[in-house]
Amino acid sequence: MLRGKGFSDIYNLAGGIRDWKSPVAVGTPDQGLDLFDGSEGLEETLIIGFGLEQGLREFYLTMSTEVEQHDVAKLFNTLAEIEVRHQEQLLKQYQLVTGKKVSIEDFSALIVQPSMEGGMSTDEYLSRYQPDLSSMSDVLSLALSIEAQAFDLYQRAAGNATDEGISEALYKIADDERAHINRLAAMINSPH
Amino acid sequence: MRWKQFLTPVRSIDWRQAEGLIDEHGLQEITFLDVRQPSEYEAGHLPGAVLVPLGELDKRLAELDKDKPLVVY
Repeated sequence: MLRGKGFSDIYNLAGGIRDWKSPVAVGTPDQGLDLFDGSEGLEETLIIGFGLEQGLREFYLTMSTEVEQHDVAKLFNTLAEIEVRHQEQLLKQYQLVTGKKVSIEDFSALIVQPSMEGGMSTDEYLSRYQPDLSSMSDVLSLALSIEAQAFDLYQRAAGNATDEGISEALYKIADDERAHINRLAAMINSPH
Repeated sequence: MRWKQFLTPVRSIDWRQAEGLIDEHGLQEITFLDVRQPSEYEAGHLPGAVLVPLGELDKRLAELDKDKPLVVY
């Protein structure tokens, strides 16, 4: 049906989603897009992304105080630290784009709508994935699922954006999420 | 006359090769097209995939960038 319609390259994904081994996302095509409704400019887009990272960081820090196992608590703290590094990358992007020298604390003060990555709330994630919070591998799988949601949201928002600069910025954030996913996958595959 | 448009081959690739396409071209230069039903997409989809159910494909082709490699599932 697509042949002869002017497409440069068409690939069929053998086995479809069934044989896809990287993380998948859930939800409707417009899930979470209310966060990027098209009215925000590039600066605000980066602030929103930073807010999403902050939401996730706070979730991990909260979990680290609520779980009983020391190694799981430590894992949650590690995951929170990874989010800080991701926030620092967003801050660098913001500084490049705006030319403004802001600290991470000043940037944090700009967050208007704290929410979690991927556009779902903490309760929604816990309810959907029902992780065993005493299990390291369950916690890592949860983190991977959340990052997959974020990866999905940023790509969909990038595809939706009418401004090229904003689309590029969102694809850059999505690229960072992909690297983050690969890092988490490596943690899952390494002995704990 | 652009003969090539009538001769676009469809190649089959596995998930690793699809990831390789992303590494090669970059995220914003590839389109993952999900041709299943909305309920199937909602239950699980490749991150960033565009949903155009098969029955609507003919009418919605203009939504897809013809210059980007298209990975269909």
